[in-house]
Amino acid sequence: MPSTAGAAMPERAPGARRFVGPVVEWAIWIAILAWVFWQTQRFDREIAQYAFGAAGWPRALCIAAALGATGQLIYRIAEIRRGRAGRPESATPEAEVPRPSLWQRAKHLPIFIFPLIYLYVVPSIGFYVATPFFILGLLLILEVRSPLTLLGVTSVIYGLVLLLFTRLFYVALPVGRIEAFYDINNAIIGIARYGM
Amino acid sequence: MEQFLDGTFNLFGDGQAVLIFALGLIGGMLFGAIPGVNMLTLGAVLLPFTITMQPEHAVMLFSVIYCAGVFGGAITAILFNIPGAPENAPTCFDGYPMTVQGRSGKAIGAAVSCSAIGGVASAVLMMSATGLIASWAVRAFGPQEVFALIFFGLAVSASIGAENLWKGWLSVFAGLIIATVGTDPVGGIPRFNEGAFFGLEFSSYYLSAGIHFIPMILGFFAVSEVLTQAMHISKGTRERPKAGLDFPTIAEFLSVRWTMLRSIVIGFFAGVLPGIGATLAAFLGYSQAHRWSKRRANFGKGELEGVVASETANNAATGAAMIPLLALGLPGGALTAMIMGIFQIHGMEPGPLIFVNSGDLVWITFAAMFWANLFIILLGWVQTKTVVQILRVPFRWLAPGILLLAVIGAYALRNLFIDVWVMFLAGIVGYLLRRSGYSAAGVVLGLILGKLGESAFSKSMQLMDYDFFGFFERPISALLITLGIAAIIISIINEIRGADVQKALMD
Repeated sequence: MPSTAGAAMPERAPGARRFVGPVVEWAIWIAILAWVFWQTQRFDREIAQYAFGAAGWPRALCIAAALGATGQLIYRIAEIRRGRAGRPESATPEAEVPRPSLWQRAKHLPIFIFPLIYLYVVPSIGFYVATPFFILGLLLILEVRSPLTLLGVTSVIYGLVLLLFTRLFYVALPVGRIEAFYDINNAIIGIARYGM
Repeated sequence: MEQFLDGTFNLFGDGQAVLIFALGLIGGMLFGAIPGVNMLTLGAVLLPFTITMQPEHAVMLFSVIYCAGVFGGAITAILFNIPGAPENAPTCFDGYPMTVQGRSGKAIGAAVSCSAIGGVASAVLMMSATGLIASWAVRAFGPQEVFALIFFGLAVSASIGAENLWKGWLSVFAGLIIATVGTDPVGGIPRFNEGAFFGLEFSSYYLSAGIHFIPMILGFFAVSEVLTQAMHISKGTRERPKAGLDFPTIAEFLSVRWTMLRSIVIGFFAGVLPGIGATLAAFLGYSQAHRWSKRRANFGKGELEGVVASETANNAATGAAMIPLLALGLPGGALTAMIMGIFQIHGMEPGPLIFVNSGDLVWITFAAMFWANLFIILLGWVQTKTVVQILRVPFRWLAPGILLLAVIGAYALRNLFIDVWVMFLAGIVGYLLRRSGYSAAGVVLGLILGKLGESAFSKSMQLMDYDFFGFFERPISALLITLGIAAIIISIINEIRGADVQKALMD
């Protein structure tokens, strides 16, 4: 082997750091599985005609998954010890990978958060009222800036949804809990179905 | 043959039957291709109208919808990574990468042709051996065999789409654990409907119905794809897929003939078994193609053989699914249960006597399924030339539409908004899984087969008096369990050997 003790010393620190990832991943799995296993106590009841009870199957799966997670940890540690780089993307030296700044990372958050806001408001204000704003907002997040495109795409998608799911297939979608929005949603459904 | 020709003449000699056939074909393909709805939606909408139809027309309509619907779901799976139905999920693995590479035409062309070939082969087998296969399958397949088949299916499919074998298994176990949410299959005891997290108690009435796999599939495939592409747009690294219109060449088809044949056999036998059906058929077909292929390394990166395997197997299951229904009155899935409903509406009872008492009905149905699969080639060709053009639309414009289709699809399933939350959370989890090398397909497979597997296992244990070696006392279950264990051992050896080879290459 070409490596010597002296040459290996400076590389030891980043090498040791590479064990952290697999160990953390294993710890996350074990924590989740332990929590799931612990929750099975809540329904650990006997069933007259079945000896393993209601908790037997989920517990067996938790144990099997814990063995799988441990197998993966051993496998990855063995890989690292043998000097294999692991996943192709992690083979790139850390210094060469441009790390995104906090601002760049924050720029990605709206794509995850905006749909959650939409899901939160739809039961209250209804699908038909919330959806045009959702389409418009999503287009803006995806960096569409032309007013004509924003208006056109929103109209086409909203129109197609109304035509296909409300007029043709009569799919029942949330109409909102707040009275004013409930009325607006029903009015939109009426227009879509009967052209009133 | 004579009966098949009679069925064909009855079908095409009657204007009303032709109209119903055409409506079923086009409707099935359209509903299968729109993620918000599916062939079951169309079936549910049309079921009340079958009261006024002749029973042979009604049964024929639903069987045509079944064939066309299973194919239709491949289109969105290939173009947008959104499987129209669970049985199209494995089509995404290679179909969508082919679209990204500008080979969408080839992928859809392969899906069209292979769906038709798988469906036609299945229809021919169905016509020639319904009675024989049905009586054998039902006698030979008890809970032990069903559990053994699921074990085998999971053992050979576990590593699909994952970075390594361990991550594949962990993904499957995650799916199996999620499938335990709801109620236990023996005593009906609620499981994971309430809990505590850092002292915070929670409970949900919704969870007693379990977590449905449709929102999970939409989340893992459609939502996570939109999130991934949105990140690429945000970073300025997104490559626009090119709309390819080329059909696969004859040489390309010939190169995958064994894969097609293997998938026909797998799809047909999986389809015969009630409750197993087209989904496991598609996963098994794909995993076996991956196992035996010379181009194994290309799987998951845009390999035509992957699309061929999955689409041949799922359509091969359609004809087979009619066998237990017609011969024994056992519906294997939701759509065949609707056909059972049609029989009941018209005061008929499917079973061995149906071949004697209602021969016309049986043979017009068989003929319609045969011809529907052939017409899929024609309509699929037209669809390929037209639908692929959607790829010319910028993804930024399509993304809101894809997310809305997913939202409507998840909500329309049970009219529960919490399904939409599950879908979106699955989307975020799916996005993280992709980044960390786990397999969304593995989670979905575990989720779909989990309930069925647990139910078969508990019944087996009761029947075998809790003796695990009882699985080895029945030949089919013994064979399947042994093959499953062998597959696990071989894959571990391959994984270790693969690591050694890679190490040697790097050295």
